[in-house]
Amino acid sequence: MVDSSTLTKKFQKEMNAGIASLVLLSVLDMSDEPMYGYQIAKLLEEYSGDASFMKQGALYPVLHSLEDNGLLESKVEPSVSGPPRRYYEITSDGREMLVTWQGVWKQMKSFVDRAIKGG
Amino acid sequence: MIRSIEEYLELLKTELKDSDAATVQDALADAEEHLRAALASLREKQPQASQEEALFQVIEQYGSPEETASAYKEVERRTIPRLTHESQASTSALARFFGVYADARAWGALLYMLIAFVTGILYFTWAVTGLATSASFALFIFGLPFALLFFLSVRGLALLEGRIVEALLGVRMPRRPLFTQSNLKWLDRLKELFLDKHTWFSILYMFIQFALGIVYFVLFVTILSFSLSFMAIPVLQEAWGQGAIYNNGIRYFFPVWSYPLLIIGGLLLWTTFMNMARGIGQLHGRMAKSMLVTE
Repeated sequence: MVDSSTLTKKFQKEMNAGIASLVLLSVLDMSDEPMYGYQIAKLLEEYSGDASFMKQGALYPVLHSLEDNGLLESKVEPSVSGPPRRYYEITSDGREMLVTWQGVWKQMKSFVDRAIKGG
Repeated sequence: MIRSIEEYLELLKTELKDSDAATVQDALADAEEHLRAALASLREKQPQASQEEALFQVIEQYGSPEETASAYKEVERRTIPRLTHESQASTSALARFFGVYADARAWGALLYMLIAFVTGILYFTWAVTGLATSASFALFIFGLPFALLFFLSVRGLALLEGRIVEALLGVRMPRRPLFTQSNLKWLDRLKELFLDKHTWFSILYMFIQFALGIVYFVLFVTILSFSLSFMAIPVLQEAWGQGAIYNNGIRYFFPVWSYPLLIIGGLLLWTTFMNMARGIGQLHGRMAKSMLVTE
């Protein structure tokens, strides 16, 4: 058997693929103003507590992909210190999609819970 | 152990060497923005930590260059850039030829050929004015900040052009401006921009776009009017009794049997041009990418 931590990492990564999109959309949906990557990462760090579910660097490609699909919008603004920041905001398409995805997540969650407990 | 953000970015670039140039540029910009922000906030919280320790912690959370690169590759693999869905692989050449009407890339390229005329003039005027004034102001002390502003505007325009090219021609381009070091004094930044071949390629592109914009526009208008004229001849002759050609007071009429040929000819001419436009668009996109995106 491959060592268990490698397998666990792989398992984690595969689960994250879809969940990251749902989480990022939700965070931006609840935020009153556009957020930049580091801000989002910080907020997620608070939610996850000590456990770290995914590397912060992996959030960015997901943000780009959500933007490509029209679910997010972004603009670059100069910052006082350091390089310009890209601020992300959810679009109305994104909000609609989020409602659907939340539904999918709920069904999925109850299905997985039942499968784990066995009925 | 990684000692500086620059080193991290170099490693990330190496990891992504087989990826699309635009993805690389996105990844580097994301990493730089995040690492600098994270490092700054960590230094505030733990001023006693050494630069190396702080960077180690920040990278630990962000992910190693390999991990970050693999995340981008994963998403790149799943993403289909806009307007580049392959049209169904039609087997017959005829279907492929007329299939161009259903191809968003061909329509995008046509629109681009029109827009290039306007942007070409704007870019050219901007580049000539900027270069000339920067060069002449260079005699005075305020010439340098002026040149910096001009070079920065070139970067901005290159990014804008990239967005237009991506949307209309379907060639993937970078999403955000490339910036290097943020802690540079403005004079150093000017020097850096001045020595960067990317700045000069962008300016060159602005000149080329002027010439190409005119060629595209003339091609578009000429071929469109020829195609429409051919197709209009039968209507003109039958409905209004006008001769198609009027020379020295003599009207020349096309014979009735040639009507179908004229209509088919006009249609074929336009369809051929649509196919050409799609090809031109792809070539132009490749050129824009090689000149506007830093490898």
